[in-house]
Amino acid sequence: MVSDERRAEILKKLSEGVVEYSEDMVREYAYIAVDEGLDAYDAVMNGLAAGMEIVGDLYDRQEYFVPEMLMCADALYAGLDILKPHIKKDESTGTRGQVVIGTVQGDVHDIGKNLIKLMFEVGGFTVHDLGRDVPLEKFSEEQLRTDSEIVALSAMMTTTMLGMKKVVEMIKKKNPNVAIMLGGAPLTKDVANLFGADGYAASAGNAVQEAIKMISQLRRLEKKAVSS
Amino acid sequence: MAAMTPKERVQKFFKREPVDTMPIFSGMGMVTVQAINKMGIRFAEVHGSAEYLAKSSTLSSDIFGFDSVIVPYDLCTIPEAMGRGCSIYEDAEGILYPTVPNKWENFDAVDISPDWASKARMPLVEQALKTLISEGKYAVGGWVLGPFTLGGQITELDLLLKGIKKQADKVHQFMEKMTGVVIDVAKRYQALGVDYMTIREMGSGTDLLSPRMWKQLIQPYLRKIFSALDSPKILHICGGTDLIVELMNDCGADALSFDQKNNLAQTRKKIGNEVILLGNFDPYGTLCQMEANEVPDVIAGCVEAGADAVWPGCDIWPEVKAENVEAWVRTLRELGRQPSPAVGRI
Repeated sequence: MVSDERRAEILKKLSEGVVEYSEDMVREYAYIAVDEGLDAYDAVMNGLAAGMEIVGDLYDRQEYFVPEMLMCADALYAGLDILKPHIKKDESTGTRGQVVIGTVQGDVHDIGKNLIKLMFEVGGFTVHDLGRDVPLEKFSEEQLRTDSEIVALSAMMTTTMLGMKKVVEMIKKKNPNVAIMLGGAPLTKDVANLFGADGYAASAGNAVQEAIKMISQLRRLEKKAVSS
Repeated sequence: MAAMTPKERVQKFFKREPVDTMPIFSGMGMVTVQAINKMGIRFAEVHGSAEYLAKSSTLSSDIFGFDSVIVPYDLCTIPEAMGRGCSIYEDAEGILYPTVPNKWENFDAVDISPDWASKARMPLVEQALKTLISEGKYAVGGWVLGPFTLGGQITELDLLLKGIKKQADKVHQFMEKMTGVVIDVAKRYQALGVDYMTIREMGSGTDLLSPRMWKQLIQPYLRKIFSALDSPKILHICGGTDLIVELMNDCGADALSFDQKNNLAQTRKKIGNEVILLGNFDPYGTLCQMEANEVPDVIAGCVEAGADAVWPGCDIWPEVKAENVEAWVRTLRELGRQPSPAVGRI
C-alpha cells in the first residue's frame, strides 16, 4: 500500500512528465507506480490526465502550440501503455463505455480527433476509431455494430462540417439515446445545437479541454458512485 | 479614356499604378455552382479536364463580374503527381473537394521521381492556364501551396509537427525539398504568363505553430521562394496570423493575404500603408450563409480596415448564393473608387 505522500510524489512526476513531454520520465514513473502498488486508474487520471489538463491550459495561454501538445500526448500514451493493463475493470461505477470516433468524409485532418481519442482512452473508454475521410453512413453502421454510447465526429473545414448534420440525423433516427459530440475548428456551440448534437469542442486545444471536462465529470460520477 | 479591362486593373494594381476602382479578384478559387450548372457537369468532373477548368473559371467571372480567373481548384495536383493519389468523390452527395488518400508515413519513405511535374494532372493544369492566358480578358492567377502546407499533404501532418522538435534535421531537409518543388512549379506558371502568383502557406498559422517556430521553420523557406520568383507575388496564410504579420512581411512578397481570423485594421497599423494587404472576409459565411443585405457591411468592413483589395479569406465555396456574390461585387464597385492605403486611383 502506497503512502499518501509517496502517491502524491508519483502522481506529480507523471503529470510533470506529460507537461514536459518526457516519455522517459513518464515511463519511469508508470513502472514505479505499478511496482509500488499505486492504483493504475488513479495514476492515469490523477497523474497523466492531470498533466494533460495543465497542457490544455498552456495551449489556451499560447505558451504551448500543437507540436508541444502532440508530444505531450505521446508522453501520455507512453504511460498509458504501461498502466492500462493494470486498470481493474469495475462495472459498478458504470463510467466506462464505448465511443465511435472519426473525421467526416472529405476531411483528412485528424490531429484534434486523435487527441480526443487519447482522452477517451485515458478515461477507460473503448474507442472504435474509423479514421479520417469516413463516409457518413459508416458512423451509424459502426455505432449499431458496437452499441457505443458516444459517437464523436470531427471536421476541420466548414464545408465538411455540413455532413455532420446528416450523421446526427442518421444516428438519432435509429438510436435517440446515443450521445453525439462534434469537434473541429469551424464548429460553434450554436451549430452543434442546431445539428442536434449533445456536445462540442472547437479545436485540438479545446478538444483536450472538453474531453478533460468529460473525464472530470466521470471522476465526479465515480466519486459519487463510490460514496453512495 | 477607354475603360480598364479586368486584366489591366489587376496588373496596374500590383504595380501600384492608379486604378479606376478596386479590382474584384482573389488568389484562391473562385469557381461557382452557377458556372458548373450552366456547363451541365458535376463538380467532381471539373478537376480532370483542362477545358472544364478553364471554362468554369471564365464563366464564373463572366456571370458575376470578377476581374480574375484562377485554376486549379483542389490542393491535390502536386501530391497526385508524386504518386500520393487523389480522391475525387464522384459519387458523394453534394460538393466535396478532392483529398490526398496516401501519405508517406515517414521522411525516409519520401521518394519523388524526377519527372513528377509531367505526371497526373500537372499537364492539364498548365493547359488550362494557357487557355485562360490566351483569352486575355481576365487577370490569370497562379498559385502553389507553400512548402510546409505541401509537406503536410504528402506526409502525415503530425510527423511534421512533432518532427520539428524530435527530428529537426530531417524536417529541414524535407522543407528544402518542398521549397524546391514550390519554386519549380511557381516559375513554370510564371513562365506561362500568369499575372500574379500566390503562395498559399495556409497550414502554418499560429493555430498550429508558435511565432518562434514560424520564424525558424517557415520564414527561411518562404524567403527563398519569394527571392526566386518574379513579381507580383503574394503570401497567403489562413487561420491565426495576428502574431506573425511582421514576420510574414519580411518574406519578400509584394502583398500579404489573410483570412477572417486576422485583425486587418491592427495588421495595417503594425506594418504601415506601403504594403499591399488583401483580405479578408469569411467566404462561406458571407457568400453562402448570411442574407444578401448583410453582405455590404462585411465588404465595407474590409475596406475600412485597410484592405487594398477585398479578397475572400480562402477559396469560395462553390455553392454561393448568387444574390450574395452580386452584393459583394456591387458594393465593391462603389466603395472601391476610393483610394486604398497602398494603391491610388485615376
